[in-house]
Amino acid sequence: MNASQAAGTTDDVPTRIRRYIESRLTDARDLKLANMQQIAVGWSHETWLFDVRWRVGGEQQAQGFCLRRDPGNALLRHLSDLGDQFRVLQCLEKTALPTPKPFWYESDPAILGAPFIVMEKVSGSCPNPWGRDGRQFYQTAAARGVLPDSFTDALTTLHTLDWRAAGLEFLGVPAAGSTEFALGEVRKWRALIDASGHAPEPVLTDLICWLEANAPKTERLTLVHGAYRTGNLLIEDDRISAVLDWELQVIGDPMYDVAYVLSDLNREGSDLLSNLVPREAFYRRYEAVTGFEIDEQACRYYALLYAMRSAAFWMSASGLYAEGRSDDVRLARTAWSVPVVLERAARDLGY
Amino acid sequence: MTPSELLERLAVTFKTEVGPAIEAEYPRTQAFLSAVVLQKLAMQLRLQTEHRDLDAQERQLLQQDLEQLLIETSAPAPVQEAFASIKIDGDAGLCRFIEALYAARDALGEEGFDILLGRVRQALRGSLDRRMAFAS
Repeated sequence: MNASQAAGTTDDVPTRIRRYIESRLTDARDLKLANMQQIAVGWSHETWLFDVRWRVGGEQQAQGFCLRRDPGNALLRHLSDLGDQFRVLQCLEKTALPTPKPFWYESDPAILGAPFIVMEKVSGSCPNPWGRDGRQFYQTAAARGVLPDSFTDALTTLHTLDWRAAGLEFLGVPAAGSTEFALGEVRKWRALIDASGHAPEPVLTDLICWLEANAPKTERLTLVHGAYRTGNLLIEDDRISAVLDWELQVIGDPMYDVAYVLSDLNREGSDLLSNLVPREAFYRRYEAVTGFEIDEQACRYYALLYAMRSAAFWMSASGLYAEGRSDDVRLARTAWSVPVVLERAARDLGY
Repeated sequence: MTPSELLERLAVTFKTEVGPAIEAEYPRTQAFLSAVVLQKLAMQLRLQTEHRDLDAQERQLLQQDLEQLLIETSAPAPVQEAFASIKIDGDAGLCRFIEALYAARDALGEEGFDILLGRVRQALRGSLDRRMAFAS
């Protein structure tokens, strides 16, 4: 049963979105929705963009909205709660980090068939770094030199914001000076692997045992995005206009994000980090602004942790297809991504 | 026509006829990805017998070598017990053996641990290389 069927209504989603917006903007007169589109981004939630114009008194108002709905069968469903996402965005609204303003969170499935959040539609574009056009976009932007700095600056802002003051402690705070953060991540992804019903994978067992045996101590705790790369960042006029995809954030080691930036997983044949930033420039700017030295050894550890996480994603994704809980062929295709990511991990482990 | 040839032909049809004929983004992507899945499946099917034989040979050699190495390294009882499960449970048993090696790392000493895990990894590398022939 999909989210629409669960709603017990034959109305399509746009119609129900309109009805919902009308119920929230009770003072609005002459309310008009325009440019409604469902965009094909991400694998975990459905995303709808639309513009609303209305009048209050004699005054014309306008706002662009972005609505994310839990389709009920998506990847990472149990690890990516929309209520938490909404709360994170509320916390970040008070900080210098560019993020979409959150408006409403609804847990009641009677409204749209599933929980959803409504936030600001931030202006900008989010070119897909895996496509030819996206790669070309980032290459050209890299040559201009402004966007690479903005990419690094947004990450430094993320890593230096006062997460306690922002109210982000609810994410869970591992003990500083301990291996709690790294081991917690290993546990989290292991649970996803176990739940996937995937056949035993000895290479993955080796990787997990290695990760458990070599977990680094986390001396400094910051907010960690968990998937900081091009494709998860909105761009306008060569600047990051919003950091998106708040699904994997944790309080933990900032090197976890840095390792993701450094990873060759996110730059398909390009020398530029995330297809955008020269490595030396990233090191120089990141270290100068944050005052944190990039810990290569920790980054190597986290790169292997990402390999485990990727394996967990693909096992979970292909499991959803295999169990008949999703008909999205993209998920079926990920069954062949598991050996690819394990082969990379084996090489990193020295075999 | 063999089943793998049939799948390959279907993949070509999805890629060259079905996909390009669909305008809407989501179903078009589904058609092209179906072609990719069919292609990988065809290759996997074509190599299945050869890979199954090689996997079985390699697993047998691994067990023989480990049997000897366990004696040479004076492996503790939990490692010996986990070794026995490789014969019974295949990959699930091998996973238990790897976990037992890490758990007994201190008892085995670095050298013994490296020898045993190194031999397991050698076998895993062979298996990975074969899977990459259709996965990458």
